[in-house]
Amino acid sequence: MLAVDRVRRSFGSVPAVSDVSFRVEPGTVFGLLGPNGAGKTTTMRMILGIYVPDAGSILWRGRPVDLRVRRTFGYLPEERGLYGKMTVLDQIVYFGKLHGVPRAVATERARHWMEMLGVSQYAERACNELSRGNQQKVQMASAVIHAPELLVLDEPFSGLDPMNAQTMLDCIKVLAAEGTSIILSSHQMFQIEDACRSFCIVGAGRVRAAGTLAELRSVFPTRVVCVSPDLPSIRAAFAANGASEPAVSPGGLEYEFPAETDFSALLRDVVAAGPVESFERREPSLGQIYARALEERA
Amino acid sequence: MNDLGIVLSTELLRKLRSRIFWIATAGGVLVIALLVEAPFFFARLAHTSNSDIVLAGPPVLRDPAAHLLERRKNFRIVARVDALPVHVTPEYLDQHGHAGAAVAVSIVRGRLHVDVYPRDLSAFDAENFGSLVPLAVSIATGLPVQRIERVAAVAHTAHPIDRKFKDSRAATVAHGIAFGLVLMLYLAIILGSQSVMSAVAEEKTSRIAEILIATIAPSTLLYGKTIAAAIVALVQVGLWIVTAAALVPQATRSFVQVSGAAAPAANAGGAPMIFAFDPWLLAAFLTFFILGYLQYAAIYAAAASLVSRTEELGSVTTPVIMPVVGAFFIAQYALLEPTAPLVTICSFVPFLSPFVAFTRIAVTSVPGWQVAVAVLVNVATVAACFWVAGRVYRIGMLLYGKPPSLPQIFAALRE
Repeated sequence: MLAVDRVRRSFGSVPAVSDVSFRVEPGTVFGLLGPNGAGKTTTMRMILGIYVPDAGSILWRGRPVDLRVRRTFGYLPEERGLYGKMTVLDQIVYFGKLHGVPRAVATERARHWMEMLGVSQYAERACNELSRGNQQKVQMASAVIHAPELLVLDEPFSGLDPMNAQTMLDCIKVLAAEGTSIILSSHQMFQIEDACRSFCIVGAGRVRAAGTLAELRSVFPTRVVCVSPDLPSIRAAFAANGASEPAVSPGGLEYEFPAETDFSALLRDVVAAGPVESFERREPSLGQIYARALEERA
Repeated sequence: MNDLGIVLSTELLRKLRSRIFWIATAGGVLVIALLVEAPFFFARLAHTSNSDIVLAGPPVLRDPAAHLLERRKNFRIVARVDALPVHVTPEYLDQHGHAGAAVAVSIVRGRLHVDVYPRDLSAFDAENFGSLVPLAVSIATGLPVQRIERVAAVAHTAHPIDRKFKDSRAATVAHGIAFGLVLMLYLAIILGSQSVMSAVAEEKTSRIAEILIATIAPSTLLYGKTIAAAIVALVQVGLWIVTAAALVPQATRSFVQVSGAAAPAANAGGAPMIFAFDPWLLAAFLTFFILGYLQYAAIYAAAASLVSRTEELGSVTTPVIMPVVGAFFIAQYALLEPTAPLVTICSFVPFLSPFVAFTRIAVTSVPGWQVAVAVLVNVATVAACFWVAGRVYRIGMLLYGKPPSLPQIFAALRE
């Protein structure tokens, strides 16, 4: 288990992370969420030993994270980096060797991951000849070649088309099923909600909310009502029930209500107001909880 | 294999496979070959030479004059004529073996007189005809030329007082070798530094550094890169040395002519220069080359880690290149004055020492303790450079945007 406890890190007089704590259980996918500049990358870098925390502790299986422990971690940074002129296979094998994997094993594993990520046909090509998406896959293979115990993925889906993002997501699920603990940061809420068991939402260097989706929903007890069509009379009925401005989605209008709202009464009022095609009460999505968490503590 | 070995072997392979390495190596070989061969090649191409002359005059003067001029190897007589035309033209010289000049010998008011009609006026003065002095004396005194030559010949022997060289020829060759090796050290550092800096900047700008630093100690990464660069530079310089050695004796002659250090008899035997290398000199070169290269490469790598984009490399290149340029010029002075106090002191000064200490060792007898101190100073400098560079590199590689200020760098050094 990874235990991050009250870590703090400043750069000069600028605090990047003020107070962040969370735990990542073995073999689970953990979502680290937050807007740009919230301190996610700095937190990840502290976990990986790139930055030393000014205060607080980071323990892996109860021990401080030193170079030997770090060797068992994998990292896919937000900014992609590859040796442009090195071949794909050489690149992946090199990172495997740096993590202590013998060349022969690293080569075998590299071929396995290239196959899985759909880049095996580029094995002997220089990395700078590949598309951005394929380079990202090569980097993913480099990050997992040594079968890491903890994998830190900073924005792994950015710049990927939906098909490639799904391929990446499938790999993450396979790794988690094999027992790898994964910390995942992404702005793709739909994918992260699907992949992660628990979450930590950070803003301005502090934890805003943490827990499983169910726990987050209990902390932010709201429900979302989706209704269509978008008619003035229907909007008026919602307004009369104390709803704030709706979010307009392709399916119609989305209103947020406290969980204890009498939704039967609301439905009756709305049906009376106009020709309702659909009315659906949902649990709030991760994206909505994320927005609320950052709003409330701002 | 440990981390350093993995980084080192990978960096070595990357560099040896890179196009720029082969271009620079082949370019160096080509430049050396050109420097050695070009004068001869162009002379042949031009079909003319200032040393080729048409000699005119009555046979009684012309023949002993030809004998004296050729014997000293100053000139080659391409044609002998009784008299020159009233107007000597380039076409006339072309018709007579593409000569560089026409020379007429005569007796004017009882003295030997030489008239010269050269293509290049600057190439001839009275000293060119010093070898005709026995003929002039013969005309004035009536004594045979051969007898005057015998009497005028001054036997001399140069006795080495420090036993470094057995004769002046060996000393001249040593100067030539020292000059060539110092030049190669200079070129290797200048070229290699660009390579190290570009590689570090590439890793930083492409953000590979972040992954590497998350996996291995930054200092290991730095050591691997700089040692690999030093090995590659050594391979490169080795090829250049072999090229230069294979193209001697022209190289030695060129040096001797430039320096004016001795008669062109140096290396007249034509033995390849490689055989003139003293094994100890080669060992000294390798020692100071490696130590010098490592200290500069470490500093260059650290400097490159401070830039955010490869385009900014120029801003950090100049300050770190200056010591190399300074050291090279002091080494040139050391070639001429190897025992000067300034030169002795500079052979113990970090960054200057690899150039100056080696130059002294090559051209004069240096006390053993001074060699030992110079080596120790360089070893300590390498250690200090790696220590400083490792820390600067660690903070530099993760800083983007504004370069770190000096207080930030000092703070990192204290960490």
